[in-house]
Amino acid sequence: MKKIISLSVLMLFVSIITQPQTKKVKVVTTLNYLKYVTEQIGGNNVSVIALANPKQDPHYVTPTPRMNAVTTDADLFIENGMGLDQWAKNVVDASGNPKVQAGTSGHLTATLNVPVKELPTEVSRAWGDIHPQGNPHVWLDPLNIKIIAENIAGSLKTLDPANAAYYLNNLQHFKEQIDAAMFGEALLKAVGKKAGDILSRKTKTGELTAWLQTKKLNSKLGGWMKTAQSLAGKKVITYHKTYIYFAERFGIDLAGELEEKPGIPPPPQHRDAVVELVKREHITTILNDNFYSTEAAEYVSSKTGAKVAVTYIDVYATTETETYEGLISTLLQNLSGTVR
Amino acid sequence: MKKFIGIFILVSIAAVCLNAQHREADSSVNLRRIQAQLSALQSLVDSITAVNENSSVHEEDLEAVEERMEKQFSEVENKIASISRSTAPIILNPRITTFINFAARVDNKNVLDETGTIPIHNRPFLRTVELELGAPVDPYADAVTILSVEDEAGTGFAIDAEEAYVNIKRLPIIESAPLGVKLKIGKFRAPFGINNSIHLHDLPWTTRPLPIAKYLGTEHGEFFESGFNTAGAEADFFLPSFHSSSAIEMKLALMRSGEIGMAQGTAGNNPPLVGRLGFSQEWNNEQLLLLGVSGYHEPGNHSTQLIGADVTYKWAPIEKRESRSFVVGGELFAGSRSAPDTAGRKTTIKPFGGFAYAQYQFSYWTYFGLRYDWLQEPSDAALITKAAAAYISYYTTEFLRFRLGVEHKQSDLLAPKFNNVTSIIFDVNVVFGSHPVEPYWVNR
Repeated sequence: MKKIISLSVLMLFVSIITQPQTKKVKVVTTLNYLKYVTEQIGGNNVSVIALANPKQDPHYVTPTPRMNAVTTDADLFIENGMGLDQWAKNVVDASGNPKVQAGTSGHLTATLNVPVKELPTEVSRAWGDIHPQGNPHVWLDPLNIKIIAENIAGSLKTLDPANAAYYLNNLQHFKEQIDAAMFGEALLKAVGKKAGDILSRKTKTGELTAWLQTKKLNSKLGGWMKTAQSLAGKKVITYHKTYIYFAERFGIDLAGELEEKPGIPPPPQHRDAVVELVKREHITTILNDNFYSTEAAEYVSSKTGAKVAVTYIDVYATTETETYEGLISTLLQNLSGTVR
Repeated sequence: MKKFIGIFILVSIAAVCLNAQHREADSSVNLRRIQAQLSALQSLVDSITAVNENSSVHEEDLEAVEERMEKQFSEVENKIASISRSTAPIILNPRITTFINFAARVDNKNVLDETGTIPIHNRPFLRTVELELGAPVDPYADAVTILSVEDEAGTGFAIDAEEAYVNIKRLPIIESAPLGVKLKIGKFRAPFGINNSIHLHDLPWTTRPLPIAKYLGTEHGEFFESGFNTAGAEADFFLPSFHSSSAIEMKLALMRSGEIGMAQGTAGNNPPLVGRLGFSQEWNNEQLLLLGVSGYHEPGNHSTQLIGADVTYKWAPIEKRESRSFVVGGELFAGSRSAPDTAGRKTTIKPFGGFAYAQYQFSYWTYFGLRYDWLQEPSDAALITKAAAAYISYYTTEFLRFRLGVEHKQSDLLAPKFNNVTSIIFDVNVVFGSHPVEPYWVNR
């Protein structure tokens, strides 16, 4: 016992005197899309570690000693929040790092100020694993990712004010990248100054198509919004309520879920109800997040002929989703290939 | 024209903002309506901008109006977000969770509790009801209280503070804790091995492993809540590891003497030192290996030492993680207890024991597991007790769990008519409230 204590005291001493002197802001994020955005904003001034595996269900990540240890010396901890990555609290608590505790400038809930959907009127487990603060899958709407990027830039500015201009410049560049992917370069050029803001606003209010017609700019529309034109109003089934932000942005109609209640595998009678729905509404596509079993989706598919598209929702999950732009493009391609 | 447009828009903004202030306390529905009005106004500005591209309207003035409107727009959106999120039911109140554990047993022989006086065979028990309250105390500390109502082997119920402690994360004078040092002060489950820190309702088995009940502590035996939990103070910190996928964690605690099962009710003169040095290695968030060595050192006239080693390996695939997993593990214990006999000579007992288990998850709902326990009795190392158990668990969700187990136990301590007991145990765990995520929990 004495040897163990002596050894640990010695290791503690060694660790204190060998603390690396680095100027980079060390950031730990729960999910990989947050890592991606932080790297876009922070550039060479940050080192970022994501705790979850991008193929993993973000609801159910088991906090481990490794996660706690890497957070011990972080300058900034970023979580999605809204009850999605609740396990983040265990990591922050167990890290013992005072700089990243909730309520400090080193702790960021990235979805702050993002307009939420599906805010429950009743918070009860009778409804399954509902999120009291609304549906948390906000990052799948490209307009929301810009708000998230602003929040991250804000935190980096606070922690590293000497490089504030650098972070703001990167933020602007990131937003332009998203705008270009969303609307196409040609349309941005045609609209001119503040095109990204104007087009984003028109998209939010549902006036984009009409406004483009008035301005005779329809032919200039490109990017995701152009791709999504062929999907407008099409009905799809999803396993979980993962895609409500994505669907609203791109005009897709979510007709139902395989889960009867969120977070609980679909019971047989509900699968049959979904089969009836798919037949009645002539639905051709079932989106099944990669981390959920495809058993129920395949059952419905076998009875109806609807195609099952296995989808990824985090950056870095596959080679096609190495960027946020790749993630959204892949989701749209999956839909374009199956929706009729 | 320029003035007219500018005044019109400014008046509109003022009206909308005034309206927003009056209704700040109203529901988010009203705010959404205001947001819609702002959107409409913004749309109007966009249209005017478009229409007047080549007119005499001054672009810079319109730009300024637009910026003001944008600011108001985001302020309203922020208000909506904050009102929306304020529905979280934990504002200032503690997080409250209730756990209920019910168990019924059918035995082929009469079974007595650990005191050897109370029959516990062929009957149902409400083994524990726990009420857990947890909340931040201030920016520097969190506190947890777990009040339990425990079945006293069918003779009644006892209310106990199962755990009650404060976790100090930082101090106003220390802005950065070296190695993430945290202090826990109060009554808590001691950092000895892995399974001692898990509460009865979170165990994957229907009973505690015998070595934990016997060496670490019990009042009524392995069928009831047991383990080593007492008052003390603990420091928990990380040591430098070899690789980013691994971690080394040290927990050291000073606790009240004489309360560990190994001490057999005799207290030393000094508070015992308890600790665990743990090593963990992760592979791709898919496989987790935990290795640990633990120690308990209680010096004095009546001295007690206990050394433990634990290993846990868990596999859960990255995809479809909720429906497949495998866990294997075990713990070994080697104890030494010295006490003077009636002639004043010191006698020492050195018992040894351990348990091993494995569990496989077949589906989201179903688990199957085995466990084997073997130990030398802490009162007399020449006496052996062993048990083998198998169980199947069915979860509707993580909050409602049913378990059916069969267990066979042999003990040199027991008279023949009480020995070679085979028991069938059915238990139900219910969790309601805001139970937080459990680290390393074997079932999820």
